[in-house]
Amino acid sequence: MAERAAQMRKVIASAMARSKREIPHYYLAEDVPLTAATAWLTQANAARPLPDRLLLAPLLLKAVAAALRRYPEFNGYCRDEVFSPSEAIHLGVAISLRAGGLVTPALMDVGRKDIDTVNRELLDLVRRARAGSLRSAELSSGTITVTSLGDQGVAAVYGVIYPPQVALVGFGRVTERPWASDGGLRVAPVLTATLAADHRVSDGHRGGLFLAAIRDLLQNPAELTQAPT
Amino acid sequence: MTRDQLQAALLEALTGIAPEIDPAAIEPTKLLRDQVDLDSADWLNFLVAVHGKLGIDIPDADVGKLTTLAKLVDYCERRQ
Repeated sequence: MAERAAQMRKVIASAMARSKREIPHYYLAEDVPLTAATAWLTQANAARPLPDRLLLAPLLLKAVAAALRRYPEFNGYCRDEVFSPSEAIHLGVAISLRAGGLVTPALMDVGRKDIDTVNRELLDLVRRARAGSLRSAELSSGTITVTSLGDQGVAAVYGVIYPPQVALVGFGRVTERPWASDGGLRVAPVLTATLAADHRVSDGHRGGLFLAAIRDLLQNPAELTQAPT
Repeated sequence: MTRDQLQAALLEALTGIAPEIDPAAIEPTKLLRDQVDLDSADWLNFLVAVHGKLGIDIPDADVGKLTTLAKLVDYCERRQ
């Protein structure tokens, strides 16, 4: 076990050192109100038996996939300074392991799947990551990585891009915050979404639009969970 | 099932999703999340395993109240 953890640490060190050496990262953050998303989730879960219950994470993943359709320069691989966008959207999901280290297995074709399928596959990935039974193809298929350290309680996460990918989306903890909108002030569940992206491939302006698209998509969860993208 | 049997079944479900924990080290009245590093997906996987083992459905509105092993045993005892 300790040997496996040491080996994993080496692999992570190598990939992350290469990332920071070669990729000119830029970072953006956007606060996302989740009043509509959490209300939708509460209502959906009220009628569902335990095995069908939904997490917030699949909604976030669906929003990332839908936004990537509009901003393809964040989805794909950069090799030898040449970017190849990926038609498929496979979201690498960062899962930390309690023995140390982390893995980023991919949820395949997230945009084309409905919310129940994404939810089921995410739960299965987490379960198999814990049990050490992920397939090697799953570990190398991500076209972008999504990390959510919110459960562990951080407000925001600024990630290190996993080469040869060109972007990483981070989600922080959902907290109730004062939220001003339409000239009024109310309390709303809010999370901070972040983007780490490769400046060889994209610029901050497009990165900002990409994060804004994720924010806007999450304001209409019913549509997001149905529509294939 | 007796309370002891319920507790054993709950701990078995827990080690199923977190194989590295020592069930003997879990203190029943302390917050489970402080003793085992569970994220929301682990937590749901745990509850689904409990549902599979004991046939007890836990409404979403009740999930947030079940913060310790003792509270889970109480709840399952009432609902079984």
